[in-house]
Amino acid sequence: MSRVWLLLVGAFAALSFAIVLLVLVPRALLMRVEASPGLMPYTTSELQGREVYIANGCVYCHSQQVRDPAFTSDVERGWGSRATVPGDYVYDRPHLLGTSRTGPDLINVGQRLPDRNWQLIHLYDPRALNAWSIMPGFPFLFTEKAPNAVRPGDVVVVIPGPRAPRGRVVVAKPEAVALTDYLLSLKRNAPVPTSATARERTAGPLAGGMSQHDGTARPAP
Amino acid sequence: MTHSQLAGEAEITSATTGAHEHGPTDLEIRLHADASSRLPVLVCYGAAMVWLVVGSLFGELASLKLHWPDLLSRDAWLTFGRIRTAHLNTVNYGWGSLAMIGTSLWLMPRLVHAELRRARLAALGAVLWNVGLVLGVGGILGGVSDGMEWLEMNRWFADPWLVVGGGMIGLALFSTVAARKAEHLYVSVWYIMSAFLWFPMLFLLGNWPSWSGVESGAVNWLFAHNVLGFWLTAVSVGVAYYFIPKVLGRPIYSYQLSILGFWSFAFFYALNGMHHLVGGPLPTWMITTSITASVLMFIPVVATAINLHMTVVGRFGSLRYSPTLRFVVLGAMGYTAVSLQGSFTALREVNRVTHFTHWTIAHSHVGVYGFVTFIMFGAMYYVLPRLVGHEWPSASLIRWHFGLVLAGIAIYVVALTWAGVAQGLALLDPKLPFQISVERTHWGLVGRSLGGLLMTTGHVVFAWHYWLMLRGRQPARARPPFHEARPILYTEAATEAAAAYRKESAVGAARSER
Amino acid sequence: MIPSSLTVILATLALGVVALTAFILAWWCGHFRDLDAQARVIFDSRELRFVRPWETSAQRLEREVTYGAPLPGERGEWGGAT
Repeated sequence: MSRVWLLLVGAFAALSFAIVLLVLVPRALLMRVEASPGLMPYTTSELQGREVYIANGCVYCHSQQVRDPAFTSDVERGWGSRATVPGDYVYDRPHLLGTSRTGPDLINVGQRLPDRNWQLIHLYDPRALNAWSIMPGFPFLFTEKAPNAVRPGDVVVVIPGPRAPRGRVVVAKPEAVALTDYLLSLKRNAPVPTSATARERTAGPLAGGMSQHDGTARPAP
Repeated sequence: MTHSQLAGEAEITSATTGAHEHGPTDLEIRLHADASSRLPVLVCYGAAMVWLVVGSLFGELASLKLHWPDLLSRDAWLTFGRIRTAHLNTVNYGWGSLAMIGTSLWLMPRLVHAELRRARLAALGAVLWNVGLVLGVGGILGGVSDGMEWLEMNRWFADPWLVVGGGMIGLALFSTVAARKAEHLYVSVWYIMSAFLWFPMLFLLGNWPSWSGVESGAVNWLFAHNVLGFWLTAVSVGVAYYFIPKVLGRPIYSYQLSILGFWSFAFFYALNGMHHLVGGPLPTWMITTSITASVLMFIPVVATAINLHMTVVGRFGSLRYSPTLRFVVLGAMGYTAVSLQGSFTALREVNRVTHFTHWTIAHSHVGVYGFVTFIMFGAMYYVLPRLVGHEWPSASLIRWHFGLVLAGIAIYVVALTWAGVAQGLALLDPKLPFQISVERTHWGLVGRSLGGLLMTTGHVVFAWHYWLMLRGRQPARARPPFHEARPILYTEAATEAAAAYRKESAVGAARSER
Repeated sequence: MIPSSLTVILATLALGVVALTAFILAWWCGHFRDLDAQARVIFDSRELRFVRPWETSAQRLEREVTYGAPLPGERGEWGGAT
């Protein structure tokens, strides 16, 4: 058999093996995953906000996953009351798990920082709240109006301190409001059914990853 | 010599049996191979140079914003989250991919001793690829992103251009292999052909619109890590396996080791992807599989390292003479370094400290820059003279290029790795507020911007020199341009034969589209 | 748990067997014979004989013994720097 064909068949097999093992098999298994208790699909506004999050690349500095407390200190740090599980992400399309913590983890930011006004100020200018922050401001998500141009229904954001724009009023655009809706929706602390047996729990870090139902996997249909 | 004479049946056997009585000579085969690929390679390289400079500027701006966050932060298209993404896509799908595609299009005819088939189709494919990239990156700057890292370019108006363009290039490459005259398939052919099979599979899989939830995380990192391994690494290793023996004039140390190296690479690398999600909400067994595969990568990496090192050993003096070897040998060392670092980083105990930190970015730059980019620089220094028919005009510019990028990446990696470890240790300690992790990275991030500035300057120097090269400035001197060194170029006889061939192919071009 | 599931075992076997078959076929068809010739396919008849300025005299002697009389470096092919 020609060595070119042998090479291509072998190479194809090598990658296909990985795809089967790491994508298709988990897909068959994870299709059974249900949403965590109390987790609702995103509302329209939250979804729009999620699009703003994606469009501005928030995922490149912020993660959205809490790791097992037996493994590391995410829970102790206050980023969540439990490790996040697959059921927490069923409505995420695509995932925003992130690989960088230049900024804090956000999967529970809706619980940790529920003040809408704080979020809006922070988005406009992070350094108005935290001088040490290196997060960029997003002034383009806001309009700066003359004080007499403010209309009823405008979401006015009062910027504290010396960094407030002088003589102008900051009004949040719909994108900023939607983004805030999305951020405030990020809460994944409802306890998941821990029908995981003691054996599974002591099997080591991350053993609870599949404990949505009974912790044992059924073969793919 | 006409096309039909060149397509003659003469087989090329081992070099030690010498020239043949009939059929094209070795030199003619080489000339015709180089002439046939000239158009698409120049298109790819020209575009790659543009993306190198543009991508470097995006990268430098992103780096500055991390310690100067109010820099250019008023406009949406300049926000860090878009500039950083534009940097990643331009350097990977622009500079890296196009430099590799160009080098592959040049290398394959040489390896199989047949002219590049469908060369103009390949050139068109490269143009389409660039159209897609412009649309994709433009979209990103405009806020249109598909959301997953390495897959941000819009799957409807940008990615299809890359699929079609890449398909044309692949068709040209595979047709050339099908028309091969060489009896043996050199190891570089395996790496390059496999890469051109793997990349489209991955690109379609990653961009498929149906993924959601944690499964999309698994697909995302299967894609991204395999683009690193099965596209960027595979072609670059294949290129290193050619240039190191070629310039040194010594066959590769152990062909058996290259066979072992290739197949273990193919089977272990593919499974690595989940090591980007250690600790994440995925089934433990998936992550463990990836960690295991990451450690098993020791086998192919060490096999390749031994093979290349033993070929070069005793001849490191050649790096003084050859810019190609300077870059390719250092790049190959970069491959060993980044892979061993990667195996180490995948271990859970190390990952606890390094995950989510700047360490990961430093690591990725050791790979994509210290390994892939360096090898592409070396390849271009070898290939360009053969395409334009004269040597590089300025030794000084080559030295500046080399010095700047080497100093740049060294400072970059040291500064950012240090920042990453400091950040990781601060994050691990729950009593330290998050603020501490940010403050402790500040000077490392400044150092990274300094390294990046040197690298960007080096790229501008290289691009300028590339431009001079294309303009055809003949070096006006009798002595070789290097200090005790001379870059490779055509002999006078070869240059005349090549010019005559090119003239004749222009006349006969309409006739023979194979 | 999962690694003991039938699906994974069968998938691994199926693809692994394909790979193993390909390897055995390759061996049988003689693709692994004459590996030294495969390693030399990238060279042409002259370039292994060029004098290279970085080589020691022992290395040049070895080159002469293996590949034949040395050729002076042609302009542009690594030679002539001395």
